[in-house]
Amino acid sequence: MDDPLNSAQPSANTRVKRDMEAVGALGRDAELMLRVRDGDDTGFTMLLERHRAPVIHFLHRMVQNQAIAEELAQEVFLRVYRSRATYEPTAKFTTWLFRIATHVALNWLRDGRKEKGQESLNQKLLDGLERQVPDSGRNIEEEMLYEGKLCEVRQAIESLPVKQRAAVLMHKYEELEYSQIAQALGCSGAAVKSLLFRAYESLRARLSHMA
Amino acid sequence: MICPILTKESAEILVDYCAGTLDPGRAAEFEKHSEECADCRRLIEAQREVWERLGGWKPGAVSPDFDSRLYARIAQEEAAPRWSQWRRFLQPAAPYSIWKPVLPLAAACAVLAIGFLIRMPNSRDGAKQVSAENVDIEQVEKTLEDLDMLTPLTVPPARPM
Repeated sequence: MDDPLNSAQPSANTRVKRDMEAVGALGRDAELMLRVRDGDDTGFTMLLERHRAPVIHFLHRMVQNQAIAEELAQEVFLRVYRSRATYEPTAKFTTWLFRIATHVALNWLRDGRKEKGQESLNQKLLDGLERQVPDSGRNIEEEMLYEGKLCEVRQAIESLPVKQRAAVLMHKYEELEYSQIAQALGCSGAAVKSLLFRAYESLRARLSHMA
Repeated sequence: MICPILTKESAEILVDYCAGTLDPGRAAEFEKHSEECADCRRLIEAQREVWERLGGWKPGAVSPDFDSRLYARIAQEEAAPRWSQWRRFLQPAAPYSIWKPVLPLAAACAVLAIGFLIRMPNSRDGAKQVSAENVDIEQVEKTLEDLDMLTPLTVPPARPM
């Protein structure tokens, strides 16, 4: 008869070996997340430190409201923490993280926008502008010009369909690869390229004076 | 090089070139092509302008209490009784606004299904009915005649002289 202890030993070793190989391939974040899985909460603190700002910035650009972006980011990190026990390093941590962030943002935009988002675009823009340029060293005229341009950019981004918007934000600001964006959006690489091309086409039409 | 505007590759080449992520060999080839192609040059200029303008959008600073709020939520969740943690699994996966329009349709389907089950005739009775309907009267008469033919002819007893 097989000794359950001895028979369990190779599978545990195999798992550790597989995790180490995955960590080697997927990097520091996967290693930290494995530490969180094993009960080391300092790993979560380090992950939060590394990814807090990118996630909030992504969500801010998605929903165009800093307070809501922070609320959604809390939900994202809460979900990461809740899933720690079942985490498997099968993909890059950032891909997984942005998949959760995209899902949370799309849900909010689909469900919550009409009910919760009573703020007008102008209010949101003012909210953003106050936070963004506290001391830019520009004179009033330059500041107004800058604000006008920024307003155009935000409106152009907001006018994009939500999936195109998410794809552009992950591509431009988070510098994710096509395959990562595809995984985050749950579509193929070819679909991502098509989404991006259509999105940039719309942005060129709205923002570029050359188009 | 075939003009990328005319091919399906244009999206990738143009976007990657302006983002600076196109591999050096293809970038050089594309640059060479764009020197001769006015359409590509225009597209590159437009895409670069968009790229730069998007780059000007700097997001705001994160609230200093973000981490403390998050850890408070985690602690609250950890402290909650185990049964209450299951509540989130019972919440619908899709938002209410998505499944709300489906509700009347689902209710109508349920009523139809129940009605159909109640009114559905018993299959056994149906089979009997079908077999009874298939009996042909002519066939019955013929069978009775056959039976008559089979009955042995009885010779009447002879009268005593």
